[in-house]
Amino acid sequence: MNTAERYSRPIPLLAIVLVALAVHGPLLLMQLPAGSFDTNFHIFFASHYAHHWFNPWNEKWFAGFSQTTYPPLTHQWIAIFSNVVGLKMAYMLVQLIAMLLLPVGVYRFAKIWVGERAASYAAVGSVFLGALAFLAYQAGQLATIASVALYLNALPYFYEWMTEAQGRSLVKGVAVGLAAAAAHHVTLIFGVVLFAGPVLWLAWLDAREERVAASERGVIARAAIFGVIVALGVGAVLLPYWISIVQHPIHQMPIPHDSRANFLLNSITAINYFVIPYGVLILALPFILMRGCANRRLRPLLLGFWVTFIFGLGGTTPLPRWLLGRAYEILTFERFTFWATLMAMPIVGLLAMELLDRFRDKAAVGLALAAVSTLGLALAWLTVNPYRPARTPDVKPVIAFLNRDGHDSYRYITLGFGSELAKVSTYTDAGSVDGDYNSARLLPEMTSYGSAQLTNSKFYGSAGMASLRAMLEHANRYGLKYVFVHDSYYEPLLTFAGWRKIETFDNGETTAWSKDDVPPAHKIESDAVPPRWEGLLWGTLPIGVSILAIFLEFLLPGKRRLPVLMEVPACAEEHYAV
Amino acid sequence: MRRLLLLCAGAVLLAGASAGQELRVPPSVSAGEDATISTAGSGQATFYVVGPGVASKSSVNLGEEIQLHGQDLRNAGHYMAIVCSSTCQSASFYVIAAKPTNLSFLVHPSRVPVGQENAVSGVALPFDTFHNLVLSPAEVNFTMNAANAALFSRSVHMQQGIGWFRTSSGKTAGTVRVVASVADLSARRAVQQVASDPCNLRMQGQRTAKGITVQTEPVRDCSGNPVSDGTIVSFGAVTANGRSTVDAPIKHGVARAQIEGSGAAVVSVASGVVIGNELHIGAQQ
Amino acid sequence: MNRALLIILIAATALLMAVAFFMPAGPGATVGVASGSALPGFSPKANTPEQAMANVLLDVKRRNWDRAFVGVSKTSGVDERAFIEDWTGSSGSLRTFSNLEGFESRPLHATNDEAQMRVRLHWSTPVGPEEEARDFRLMREGDTWKVVWPHTETASVPAQVIPVDYLRWDLVSGGAEDEWGARNVDAPHVRILSMNAVQAGDGSVVMGEVVNEDTIPAFVNVNATVVDGSGNAIDEESSFDKIAHILLPKQVSPYRVDFPQISLQRVKNVRMDVKATLVPASADPVIGVMDQRLEPDAQGKNVLRGNLFNESGQTVNIPHVVASFYDNNGKVVWVADGYVERALLPQSSEPFAVEVPRALVGKVQNFHVVVNQYSLGRS
Repeated sequence: MNTAERYSRPIPLLAIVLVALAVHGPLLLMQLPAGSFDTNFHIFFASHYAHHWFNPWNEKWFAGFSQTTYPPLTHQWIAIFSNVVGLKMAYMLVQLIAMLLLPVGVYRFAKIWVGERAASYAAVGSVFLGALAFLAYQAGQLATIASVALYLNALPYFYEWMTEAQGRSLVKGVAVGLAAAAAHHVTLIFGVVLFAGPVLWLAWLDAREERVAASERGVIARAAIFGVIVALGVGAVLLPYWISIVQHPIHQMPIPHDSRANFLLNSITAINYFVIPYGVLILALPFILMRGCANRRLRPLLLGFWVTFIFGLGGTTPLPRWLLGRAYEILTFERFTFWATLMAMPIVGLLAMELLDRFRDKAAVGLALAAVSTLGLALAWLTVNPYRPARTPDVKPVIAFLNRDGHDSYRYITLGFGSELAKVSTYTDAGSVDGDYNSARLLPEMTSYGSAQLTNSKFYGSAGMASLRAMLEHANRYGLKYVFVHDSYYEPLLTFAGWRKIETFDNGETTAWSKDDVPPAHKIESDAVPPRWEGLLWGTLPIGVSILAIFLEFLLPGKRRLPVLMEVPACAEEHYAV
Repeated sequence: MRRLLLLCAGAVLLAGASAGQELRVPPSVSAGEDATISTAGSGQATFYVVGPGVASKSSVNLGEEIQLHGQDLRNAGHYMAIVCSSTCQSASFYVIAAKPTNLSFLVHPSRVPVGQENAVSGVALPFDTFHNLVLSPAEVNFTMNAANAALFSRSVHMQQGIGWFRTSSGKTAGTVRVVASVADLSARRAVQQVASDPCNLRMQGQRTAKGITVQTEPVRDCSGNPVSDGTIVSFGAVTANGRSTVDAPIKHGVARAQIEGSGAAVVSVASGVVIGNELHIGAQQ
Repeated sequence: MNRALLIILIAATALLMAVAFFMPAGPGATVGVASGSALPGFSPKANTPEQAMANVLLDVKRRNWDRAFVGVSKTSGVDERAFIEDWTGSSGSLRTFSNLEGFESRPLHATNDEAQMRVRLHWSTPVGPEEEARDFRLMREGDTWKVVWPHTETASVPAQVIPVDYLRWDLVSGGAEDEWGARNVDAPHVRILSMNAVQAGDGSVVMGEVVNEDTIPAFVNVNATVVDGSGNAIDEESSFDKIAHILLPKQVSPYRVDFPQISLQRVKNVRMDVKATLVPASADPVIGVMDQRLEPDAQGKNVLRGNLFNESGQTVNIPHVVASFYDNNGKVVWVADGYVERALLPQSSEPFAVEVPRALVGKVQNFHVVVNQYSLGRS
C-alpha cells in the first residue's frame, strides 16, 4: 500500500477506540482524576447508592438532602461496579467507558455532516481534546462527559429517523437519548438547542434539497414525534428530579465562578478556560469559520458551534447573560467549551483530511504533534494551574476520629479541605452541614450568601465568611460540634467564636476544633424528603433505560451507511448553490 | 426473657390458686451467698426464680432441696421462687446487701472560699462488693483536716444507707482533706479552700520613662490568705488624654501594670467589688 | 453569502466582546485563587486620577505587585517591599489574612497636575468584612497619573529582655475508670451580672456582662432564647464573638447576642443560659487599654477610640476589642466590638476604634473595654 492509498482510507472505528483506550486507560488506571474537583463528589453520591439504592435521601450533607437533585446514572453504575473493584476504581471504570464512547459518538455524529474519512479523523482528534482532559482530569465532570458521549450517539438515530422514518432509529435514538438525560440533565437541556437544533436544520435542508428521500414536512413531523417521546420519557425517567426542582427551585444567591469571568481581563482564567481546553484547535478556528461559512450543509453546525463557543467564553461576552437570565449565575461555562470543541470536530476532520491529502507524511506528523501537545498541555496544566489545592489533607485520621467514641452523633464541617470533604463524608458515618453540591442546599445559612461550600469559604470572600459565620452561630441548632481545619486562615474566627482546638493530625497539618455546649445532632425536618415511590422510580428507571439502550444496540443492529456521503471540497459554495 | 417473665407472671397467678403445697424459703439471704429452698411432694417440677435483674428456670425433683447459687443472688431485693408441676406454688424471700466493701463519697464543692457558712457538704454511701447499697444501720465518721490541724469531726448515723454532713469552710486557704469512714472502710476527698475577696487592696505607683508603673501590695483576703494567682486586678488611670485601664492578673501575690502617658494621672485600683486606694501622680518633668 | 456570514460572525463576536468590556462585572470571581491580569492592550491607561487609582487597586486586589507598583510615583520614597507589606501586613496580623475585595474612590480635589482621592477599601478577613478609608495623593507624570504612596511607619521594637512570670492552668482529666464521686472538679462558677434587651433595627439585641466568680479560668459561652407571649421559644442565638470567652478569676466581659430577624415587640421573655467549662488557659499576655475617649471620627461617626498597649513580651497577632457602654444608672445600653488589623508587638501600642450608634451617644456615660486576642500557635 502506497502513501496515497494509506491516507485515503478512513481509520477503522475499532482502531480509534483502541487509541482512546491506549491514551486514557493508563491515565485512569493511575487514578489521575482522583485529584480533580468533582471526582470525590461523584464517588460520594455513588457510595450512597451502593448502600441505599432505593432511598435517595442522604443525611450526610446539608443535614439531609435528596440525591434526586442530580441525575443518577453514572453514580449508579459506579455503585454497581464498586461491589467488584471498589468505589474509586469503579469511578475510573465508568469514566473510561464514557471516554471510549465519546470518539464513537463523535465519529457517528461527524458522519452526519462529513464523509467517513473526515469523521474518522474527527473521532481520533476527540481523543486528544484539551477540553476532554480538562473536564476529566481537572474538573472531574464525569456526568457531562458520559452524557454528551451518549447524546452524540443518539443524534445519528435522530437524523436517520427524520430522514428515513425507520422505527428502529426512533426506538434506539429515544433509548440512548434517555440514557444521556439520566446521566446529566444540563447536557440534555442545552443539547436540544445546541446539538439537536443543527441536526434538525440539516435534515430539513437535506430534504429540501432532495439529498434524502424524506419531505420537509415529514422531517418536521418526525422531529416533533421524536421530541414529544423524548420529552415524555425524560419526564418519566427523571420525574423525582423534576418534582424536587419544582418544589425547591434554586433561589440561592449567585455563587461566583471563574468560568463567568471576562477572559480578556484575566490572563489566568483565559488560559484555564480557553487556551487549555482548545489547545492547538485555536489555530483551526479560522478554517472552521471559513469552511463552515463556505459550505451550505455545514452552516447549521457552524452556527451551533459559534453559539456554543460564545457561551464557553463565559463573561467575555454578554450573550450568555442575556439569553440565560438567572440561569447564567447558576451554570458554569467550561462545559460549553467542551461541547464547542466536539461540534468543531467534523470540520476539523475535514481540515485534517485536506492537510493529509496535500502534505501526506508531513501533515500526519504535524497533526499528531498538535493532538499530543493539546492533550499534553492540558495534563501539564494539572500540576501548574493556580486553582489546584496547595496541599491535600490526609483525611484518614479525620475519618477515624469521627467514627470513634460516639463522635458521629454530632455533625461536623471541614475548612480548607476542598474536594476532600466528599472523601471524608464517603467514609464516615457522621453527618455534615456542609456539602459539595450547590443545587441541593436548602439551609438558609448557605443559600442566603453568594458562596458555595463552607470548606472553601475564604475563596468566596466576605460572602463565604458570612455564610461560615452564620453556620457557626447556629452550631447548637444543628449539633455542629466538630470543625476540622486544614488552613490556619480560619483559626482566628474559630478562636473568637468560642471553639477550642482539641486534637491535631498529620503533624499539625490538620486540627480538630470543638465547642463544649453543643447538644447531639437531631434530625432536621425537611419537606424535601422524597416519598418511597420516588425512591423506587429513581432506583429503576434511569439504570433501566441505560440497560435497555445497551440491549437495543445489540438487538437492533443499524445500517452500515448514512444517507449522505460527502467529502466536502474546499470551495463547495457553488456546488450546493441554489 | 420477656416470654420467661410472662410465664413467671402466669405461674404466680396459678400459684395463688393452688393451696396446700409447700415451698420453704430462707427468710433472708446475704447477696452473693448460696441458699437452699426445700420442697415437698414428689415427681418432676419446673422451678423459677425471679428477682431484681434475674430470672431463671430449671427442672427440679419435688421433695429434694433446691440449691440457689450465690452468683444468681448478687442483687439485693425481693425474690420470688416458684415451683410448678400440675399446679404452681410460690414463696418470696429477701436478699440483703452483703458487708460493705466500698464507700462512695461525694463532697461538694471542690473549691470553696474561706469563711463561708455551710459551704461544704458531703454524702457517703456504702456499697457491697456487688454494688448493692448497704441499708443496714451503721455509723459513719466524717473528718476534715487541713495540713496540720483537725477542722471538723462528726459521727453520723446512716439512714437508709446514706450519711451526710454540712459544714462551713475554714479560715485558711489550702487543700483540706475530707475523710468518711464506715467500720474499716474509708474514702478520702480533697477540697481546695481558696482565698475570699481581697481585703484592703492597696497599690503603689511611680513614674517611669515609659509612663506609670503601678503595683499592688500583696493582695490578701480579710483572713490574711493570699488571693489566688490569676485573679484580675483592674487598674484605671484618668489623664488628660482620656481613661486608661489595665486588667492585670495577680502573679506571686501581687498585680502590676504599666500605664502609658506622660501627663498627670489619677490612678485607681479594684478587684471584683473591692475598691482600693487612689494615687495622684504628677506629669513627667 | 459565505463571506457575509463570515463577516457577520466575526463582527458579532468582536462586538459582543466590546460590549462585555464596558459592562459592569457580575458577582465577581473567587477571591485569592487566580491572580491573572488583563491581556495586553486591555488595561485602561491611567490618564485620569480615578483610572490611575483604579489600576493600582485592581492590581493590588489581584496581588500583581509588580504591575501595581508601576502605578506608584517614584517620588513616594517607598520601595516595592514596603509597598507590598503595607497591603499584606506583617507579624501574622489580621491584614496578613485579608484580601482586598473591592474599593470605591472619589476625588476630594484635583488640579491639572495633582489630585487627592478618598478610597474606601473593602477587605475580606477571617473574622468578617472590614472597611477602611484612606486618602491618597496622585501626581501627573507625563501623560499618566501616578499614586504618591504614603510612607507608613511600622512599629519597631528594640531588642530587650522581658522577664515573664508564666502563669497558666493545665487541665488533667480523670480516666473513665475513676470511681464514682472522685471526679469532682467543679465547673467554674460564672454569673451573669446584667442583661438588657433592646430593639436594634429590624431585630433585637440582648446584652450585658458576665463575671467569673471562681478562682480558676473559665471558658464561657452565653446563649439566649427569646420567648413569645405563649411561652414558645422563637429563636436561640449565642454571643459568638461578642464576648471574651476565656475569663480569668474576677474578670468581667461584656456579651451581646443578636437576633437580627426578631422584633423586640414579639419577645415576652428572654431565657439566659451561661455555660462555663474548665479549660487550660494562660494569664498572658496582659494588654492595657490606653487613652480611651469618645469622639467623632473623620467620617462623622461617633467612636470609642484608644490605644492597646501590649505589656507582655509576646506578639499578639489579632487583638479584638469588646466594649460595653453604660447609661447614668450603670445599665449596659450597648455592646460593640472591633478587630485591630495590625499585630500588637511586645511593649508597643496600636490604635483601635469601635463605633457607638448615633442614637446612644447622648445616653452613654461610661464604658468598659475588654481585650480578647488571637496569637498564632497559642489558640
